[in-house]
Amino acid sequence: MLSPLKKIPRSWLLASVGLLVGLLLTILLLNWLTPHQFHGLVMQSPQPVSNFELTAHTGQRVKMSDFRGKVVLIYFGYTFCPDVCPATMSELRQAMALLRPGQQADVQVLMVTLDPQRDTPQLLANYLGHFNPTFLGLTGTPEEISVAAAPLGIFYEKHEGDTESGYLISHTSTVAVIDKNGYLRLVYPFDTTGEQMADDLKILVGE
Amino acid sequence: MAALSIASHKNYWFGFLFYGGLVLFAVAVVAFNLFRPVTVLPRITLAPGYALTNSSGRSLTSEDLRGGLSLYSFSYSRCAGEHCPNLAEVQGLLNKQQVTDLPLSLVTISLDPEWDSPAVLANYLQQNGYDGSGRNHWHFLTGDSFLVRTVVGNGFSLYYKAEGDGQIKFEPRFVLVDGLGVIRAYYYGSRPEPAILLRDIRLVSEEAQNSHGATRLAYEAAHLFLCYPH
Repeated sequence: MLSPLKKIPRSWLLASVGLLVGLLLTILLLNWLTPHQFHGLVMQSPQPVSNFELTAHTGQRVKMSDFRGKVVLIYFGYTFCPDVCPATMSELRQAMALLRPGQQADVQVLMVTLDPQRDTPQLLANYLGHFNPTFLGLTGTPEEISVAAAPLGIFYEKHEGDTESGYLISHTSTVAVIDKNGYLRLVYPFDTTGEQMADDLKILVGE
Repeated sequence: MAALSIASHKNYWFGFLFYGGLVLFAVAVVAFNLFRPVTVLPRITLAPGYALTNSSGRSLTSEDLRGGLSLYSFSYSRCAGEHCPNLAEVQGLLNKQQVTDLPLSLVTISLDPEWDSPAVLANYLQQNGYDGSGRNHWHFLTGDSFLVRTVVGNGFSLYYKAEGDGQIKFEPRFVLVDGLGVIRAYYYGSRPEPAILLRDIRLVSEEAQNSHGATRLAYEAAHLFLCYPH
């Protein structure tokens, strides 16, 4: 008695296998050729970010050009921020954790304080250290901070509150992603996850 | 012999379907790029964030305008000459033709914040025929001089310089910003070309309203293939 396979004409089998292989190759080719779909808002005409200068929580004066060669994620917040800032920093921590050590070395997360009055360098260092020791806090005079914040679409406004910590600051809560050449490439809105950021960072780091 | 003929016939059809599918896909991509069923304005860069003061003395921030379209211009109450933007004309044009269902704000930032207090701006608006009943709200903003220079200079890349006689030297322009705070177009001169301005507002508005689900892919493809209006 013939096995079921042997009942099928040889040409049919070859054609079926050929079709499957062809489909698989097509899927793989399309996957390879399709550009990566970045999460967040993609800047189609990337512009260079201005080379603003601030003071790091280490006490050093730093300029944006100091981070050339790294992908920079820059967030504007403050340590007394009750919810939005720690949530965003957690996602940034998660994004870094999902990268390989070699990739992590090519990424720098910066948090610029919108509250230089209360956010001392020591406070910034302690706050950011809870998320990731490589995260760098930046501070400066109110003028220096506004020069950094405004072109990146960041609005901020102080509100006198009744909380124990005093006033609160309403602010835009986006994360700007700057590529290795200093160009603004992406802007993540508040609900972007660490996984999504890591997905994009793997591509940008490899450029 | 007959069996071989049937087999090679069927192989032909499998090959035809396989390669035909690939060709169809390639033709679809080229056709999309050629005929451009979806046209978009490029996402140029982020519009600057700010908290400034309007002519009523109240704070207006860039966040307040999220979700709608904003047409920014730059002027000052003592501006005299051809280079001064004709803001009442622009407002009149946009009030006459409804090209968007989204909120549309006209925002003029004063280049002379030290002179242009909220009261001065309120007086200017009244004297220049500002129609408060129009659909499109017009905000004339002032604020701290340093912040204004940061927003206008660093944010909107507009250079301006006081000439000492109350006049300020600047190149007039209008800037269209979408609901996500992204600059989509620049219009250089004191009067944007009406047909182009209306077309662009319509394009950005349609994209904001239609870019959901499967149609979002079409809009992103339009951005990817640079399907910009000529």
